[in-house]
Amino acid sequence: MKVDQATNILITGATDGIGLLLAHLYLAQGANVVITGRRDAKAVEQVIPKDAIYIQANQEHPQITADLITKAMTEIGWDHCDLAILNAGNGHVCNPLQENPEAIRDTLNVNLVAPILIARTLVRFLDKAHHGKLVFIGSTSHKGAAKFASYAASKAGLHGFARSLREEWHHRITVLIIHPGPTATGMHAKAGFDAGAMKRLFFDPDYVARTIVASIHKGASPVSIGVFARIKQALSLRKNPVSAGDI
Amino acid sequence: MNILITGAVAGLGRALCEKLLDEGHNIIAIDINKDGLEELKKQRGDLLDVIQVDLTISDAVSRLIETLAKGTRFDLVVLNAGINATGNFEENPGEAYRRLLTINTETPIIMASAMIGGNMMETGGTVVFVSSLSHATGYPGASVYAASKDAIATYASSIRRACARMNINILTIFPGPIKTDHAARHAPKGADAERRMAPNRLAFLVLNAVSQRKHDLYPGVIAKLTNVAGRLLPAFLTRLMRRIVFEKLDKPTY
Ligand SMILES: NC(=O)c1ccc[n+]([C@@H]2O[C@H](COP(=O)([O-])OP(=O)(O)OC[C@H]3O[C@@H](n4cnc5c(N)ncnc54)[C@H](OP(=O)(O)O)[C@@H]3O)[C@@H](O)[C@H]2O)c1
Repeated sequence: MKVDQATNILITGATDGIGLLLAHLYLAQGANVVITGRRDAKAVEQVIPKDAIYIQANQEHPQITADLITKAMTEIGWDHCDLAILNAGNGHVCNPLQENPEAIRDTLNVNLVAPILIARTLVRFLDKAHHGKLVFIGSTSHKGAAKFASYAASKAGLHGFARSLREEWHHRITVLIIHPGPTATGMHAKAGFDAGAMKRLFFDPDYVARTIVASIHKGASPVSIGVFARIKQALSLRKNPVSAGDI
Repeated sequence: MNILITGAVAGLGRALCEKLLDEGHNIIAIDINKDGLEELKKQRGDLLDVIQVDLTISDAVSRLIETLAKGTRFDLVVLNAGINATGNFEENPGEAYRRLLTINTETPIIMASAMIGGNMMETGGTVVFVSSLSHATGYPGASVYAASKDAIATYASSIRRACARMNINILTIFPGPIKTDHAARHAPKGADAERRMAPNRLAFLVLNAVSQRKHDLYPGVIAKLTNVAGRLLPAFLTRLMRRIVFEKLDKPTY
């Protein structure tokens, strides 16, 4: 689908990292972009793109977040949403048996409960789009990760949710899940993890964002940005995976 | 053995409870159903303690853990309590999904992590997580349930190694439909109840897997074959589930 001035895109967690890069990419294509984040509008003023509309909605409170997003979309006059990328995420790194209950609950609320409840309230906006797309950002750790047990669980939950919902909404709304591998954003530091020398092996966030845009365009699911993507990147077979002007 | 079972009044939890009491073990049975717990206590008396808790409420779970921490250590913990929500995804209330994700995912994670990390397990003990055969097939018409059960399966496999170092085994079970009121309420129209596995049979298979210190249990031949099929043809199986389940559900149920 061509992106034009009537294309409405929602990206959650777009005040940093992959989400922020995605917002820039879609704005450059001419779309209307609404972004969300947990921080106060003042605090992110300098960070976020000027043309994006910002909603402060902390996903530690899933239902409130879902309601804030649809309320704001209605207020700015959106009757439809062509593409929603539910990207916001956090994690806490620790020995799996010393995870503190508050951290577990935060991780599950932000990464799993909130995207599910947001998807539920977004249905009516996605239904009104010509071919609405709903995209979840998972993680290659959805198959299990000892140092991020509840994070991995939350991403596995998203994977299972997307798999079943994609079938349920077949021919109605395209549901996708994309699993990035380790990416050099601020996420690891925020999670209390020092990747050290490993960090050199991480994906370039810009590459990941462009690969996500290309995957959304193709519509296949699930997609992992893992070892194969890594080899392709090293060989530079695909410098620029974005097909500009499409979603 | 000292044993903890959540969701002990009906279905698999009940069957496990009765079998283990017959074998003379001490059990703490947890459920939301007060009458059911009292009846169980009246019938099976002295080896059994019952605690009524709503496991969809985070604070109640935290208080439960504090209470359990004061007692003896457990040899076997079965985190079995769970609920479903079926129908078109968007037609069930958000609160139903919040409750489902709490009791099916958050609560077992919080309990396991507190009990293993907090030294409430006996060395050589086992923690059982109840996932679902939907882990192999997907479950259109119950996408949030599918999410909750995939999440718990991945949590279990993530902590397994760290637990093994403490000589605690983690067993995840992936049962298909069980012959319970819960399954009947959420089943598609025209489904054959006779093909669901009897809770007693499942309890037997689970206890075998516990004593053999297995990691995963797909109970019964059908579940084993379905798991293999799900690995080979995941998208096809989810499409099949759409036909046999989702298209035959007639109303939202939670
Ligand atoms: N980086 C990786 O290696 C990696 C690998 C696989 C998957 N992922 C996934 O990719 C997505 C983006 O991650 P990233 O690497 O870009 O991380 P990031 O740079 O930390 O960005 C995460 C975004 O989510 C926001 N956020 C965090 N907690 C939130 C909350 N409670 N409510 C609302 N927004 C919240 C952050 O806000 P602030 O700006 O205030 O922090 C930020 O905008 C996440 O879902 C992550 O799990 C990342």
